[in-house]
Amino acid sequence: MSLVLDQLNVRFDENQVIQDLHLELASDEIIAILGPSGCGKTTLLRAIAGLQTHDSGTIQLNGQHIEQQPCEMRGIGMLFQRPVLFPFKDVLGNILFAYKRKKDRNMTEVNTIIEEMGLKGKESQSIETLSGGEAQRVVLIRALLTNPRLMLLDEPLSALDVDLRRKIALEIRSILKSRGIPAIHVTHDPAEAEIIGDRVVHWNELQPGDDDEE
Amino acid sequence: MKSAVGHSVPVALYLGLILVPVLLALDRLIFVTGSNPIEAMFQLDEHPLAIEAVRFTFLQATYSAILTLVIGFPIAWWLGRYEWKHIGLIRAALTLPFVTPTVVAAMGFLALINEGGILASIGIDLRNETGIIGSFSSFLGIEHSGQIIALLLAHAWFNLALVIRFVEPKIATLPPRYEEAFRMLPVGTSPLERLLRFWWPMLRTPILSAFVFTFIFSFTSFALVRWLAPEFWTIESLMAIEGGAAGIPGYREDVSLLVLGGATLQGIVLLAALGLAGRWQQKQSYEIELVSEHHARKNIGKPGLLQRFGILSSCLFALAPLFLMVLSSVRIRDRTSDSYRWSTEAWSYAFDGNLTYASVPDALTNSLVYAIGCLLVSCILGFFVAQTIHSLEEKNKPKLARLIDLLSMLPLALSGVMVGLGVLLGILKVWPAMFSWYALPIIPHAMLTTPFVVRILLPAMREIDSDYEEAGKILGYDGGQRFFRIKIPLLKPHLVVAAALSMAFSLGEFGASWILLRSGAWGTLPVLVDQLMSRPKYFQLVEPIAMATATVLMCITFLLFVIAERFRSHQGGGF
Repeated sequence: MSLVLDQLNVRFDENQVIQDLHLELASDEIIAILGPSGCGKTTLLRAIAGLQTHDSGTIQLNGQHIEQQPCEMRGIGMLFQRPVLFPFKDVLGNILFAYKRKKDRNMTEVNTIIEEMGLKGKESQSIETLSGGEAQRVVLIRALLTNPRLMLLDEPLSALDVDLRRKIALEIRSILKSRGIPAIHVTHDPAEAEIIGDRVVHWNELQPGDDDEE
Repeated sequence: MKSAVGHSVPVALYLGLILVPVLLALDRLIFVTGSNPIEAMFQLDEHPLAIEAVRFTFLQATYSAILTLVIGFPIAWWLGRYEWKHIGLIRAALTLPFVTPTVVAAMGFLALINEGGILASIGIDLRNETGIIGSFSSFLGIEHSGQIIALLLAHAWFNLALVIRFVEPKIATLPPRYEEAFRMLPVGTSPLERLLRFWWPMLRTPILSAFVFTFIFSFTSFALVRWLAPEFWTIESLMAIEGGAAGIPGYREDVSLLVLGGATLQGIVLLAALGLAGRWQQKQSYEIELVSEHHARKNIGKPGLLQRFGILSSCLFALAPLFLMVLSSVRIRDRTSDSYRWSTEAWSYAFDGNLTYASVPDALTNSLVYAIGCLLVSCILGFFVAQTIHSLEEKNKPKLARLIDLLSMLPLALSGVMVGLGVLLGILKVWPAMFSWYALPIIPHAMLTTPFVVRILLPAMREIDSDYEEAGKILGYDGGQRFFRIKIPLLKPHLVVAAALSMAFSLGEFGASWILLRSGAWGTLPVLVDQLMSRPKYFQLVEPIAMATATVLMCITFLLFVIAERFRSHQGGGF
C-alpha cells in the first residue's frame, strides 16, 4: 500500500469535519473521491499534505508514519482549485521552483515535460498571459518535477470549461500513470472522477454518517 | 517559543528606539523643572514668547488648512468631474509640492517673493510690504502681514496635494447614477441643495481628513516658518531655537518648561487630530460601489474654459516656486548696480564649499549616508514589526496586534523638532559621547520613518494570499526558503516604495537634523541650505548658492519619488 489513513479525526474550529476515517491507496493507484461541496474533501487532502493539523489517527506513506512531519518534509505534491503561480516569475521561473537549489536542476527533464504538456515556446511568457488550463499545466509540471511520493488533486479543473476539463483530466491521468505516481483526486463532478480515477469512492462511503450537504 | 522571541525582539527594539529617547528626555525635563508634562503645559507663560507662539501656531495652522481647502477643493472637483488629457501629468505636477523637502519649499517661496522676484515685479511685495501689501497691512492693522500671507500660501502650496489626493478619487469614482437619482428627487433640483445634501455627505470625510492633515503639517511646520515668517514664532520653531538650553539644572528653567509644556501640547493636539481623522474614516467605512474613474468622467464630459484656466493656473502655482528656485541659482544680483546677470558661478561655489564647513558633495555624502542608514534601520525594523502584527492577526490575537499597531504609530504624533530634542535631551545628555557619533542622525530619522514603513508593508502583507505560503510548503521549502524565495519577492514592490520613501524623507528631514547638526561639521543638504541662508548677504552669491544646494536636494528627492511612484502605480496599494 502506498497510503494508509487510519482512524483519522480532523476538527475545524469546533466542527468535527472528519471522523475515524479509514482509507487505503495501492501503489500506482489513483482514486477519485466524489462528494458535494463543503463535505470535507479538501480538509482531508490538507490533513494528508500537512497543511491542516489532525486531532488523532495515523497517516502512513510507503509504510512510514508521516503524521508528525511538517508539510515540507512529506514529499507530497498538491494541485489546488486555483493554480498557485508566483507573479514575480515567468512560466519557466515558476516551473524551476520545483528545485530548491540551482545545482539540482535537470533541464533535460524540464524541457521534456514542458514539451509533453504542450507548453513549449511559452517558457518566457508572463503568467498573466496563460489560460486557466495552461496555468494548471504549469502547476502540474512543477509538482511532477519534485518527484512526489503522492499527488493530491483538489478539484484542480473546477474553473475550466467542460471540454477542456475532460482533455486535461485525461492528460493528468496519463502522466501520473506513466510515472507511477499514486494520487487522490477529489471532485464533485462524477464524469471527471470517472476519467481520472482507477476507482471512484463516494464521500458517504468514507464518512457514513455525513449528510450530502453541509 | 522561537517564534515568540522572533516577534518580540524587533518589537522591543522598535519600541526602545521610539520610547527610550522620549522617556529619557521627559525624565530629564521633569527633574529640571519639577513639573509634570501637564503642569508644564499650563506654565508655558513662564517663557516670554510662548503664549504668543501658541496663539500664532493655532491661528496659522487653522487659516492654512482653510486656505488649502479653498484653493484645493475646486481643483479636486474639476479634476474629478471632467475628462482631462494628460491627467497623470497634471496629477504629478500638483503632487510635486507635497514631496518637496520643506527647506526646498521655503527656498522656492523666497525666490517667488524676494525683491526682484515675480510677485514683487507685479506689485505684490510680500517681503518689504510696500505697495498694495503695505496698504493691506495698514488697513488690517497687522504688522508683517506680508510674511503671514507668504506663510499661509506656502502651507497651502505644500498641502494642496493632500486635498487633491483625498477628495479627487472620491469624486472621480462615484457612480454617476447616485447623482442622477438625487437630481430626480424634489430636494435635488437646485445646485445648492445638491451640494449640501448630496455632495457634502459624500465628500465630508475626505474633506475633513484633508483639513486635519493640513492642520497637522502646518501646526508643526518649521522650515517654512523660519524662512518665510521670521518675525513670528510657532511652538515648533520656538522649541527648535530655544531647545538647546533646555534640560540643564539651574539654567533657563523657562526653556525647559517651554520644551516640556510645548511638546506635551503639540503631542496632545497631534494625537487628537490623528484620532479624529481615524474616527471619521472609520465612521464612513460603509462601502459604496465605485466605478472606474474613466467611466464617471466620461459622463460629465470635457472641461470648459473656466476649468481649463483653473487647472492650468494651479499647475503653474505648483511648479512656479520650484522653477524660480532653480532660476535663482543662476540669476545673480549685482548689488552695486541693482541689476541681474546670468551665471553658474554659484554652482561652482556650492560644489567647492568655499563659504561653509561643507560643500554640496560633502553634505550630499552625509545626507546619503544618513538616508541609507535610515533606510536599513526603518525597513528592517518596520518589516519585522509589520510581520509581527500580521502574524498576531493570523493567530487570532487581534487585541495584541492592535496594541502593537497603535504603538507603532506613536511617532506620527511627534514632530521633527520634538524627536530631535528627544534625542538631544534624552540620549546626548545621558551619554554626551554620542555627540561625536557620526551616525547619530540616523536615530531620529528612523524614528520618524519607521511608522510609514509599517503602514506600507502591513496592508501588503495582509493582501498576500496564504496559498503562496502553502504552495511553498508543498514544494518542500522550509521557513527560511519560503521567506527569501517567496515572501520577499512578493513584497518587493512595496519594499522598494518603503525604501524610496524612507530615503526621501531622511534626505529632506530638517527639524531633527537642524537640532542635532547645525553646529557640527556633518551637515546634511537641508542644514547646509539653512546655514547658507543664515549668513549675512553681503556677498552676492550667498543666496544663489543656497538655491543651487536646494536644487540638488530637490532633484534627488524627486528621483526617489519617481521610483516609488513607478512601483506604487504598477503594483497598487501602499501608503
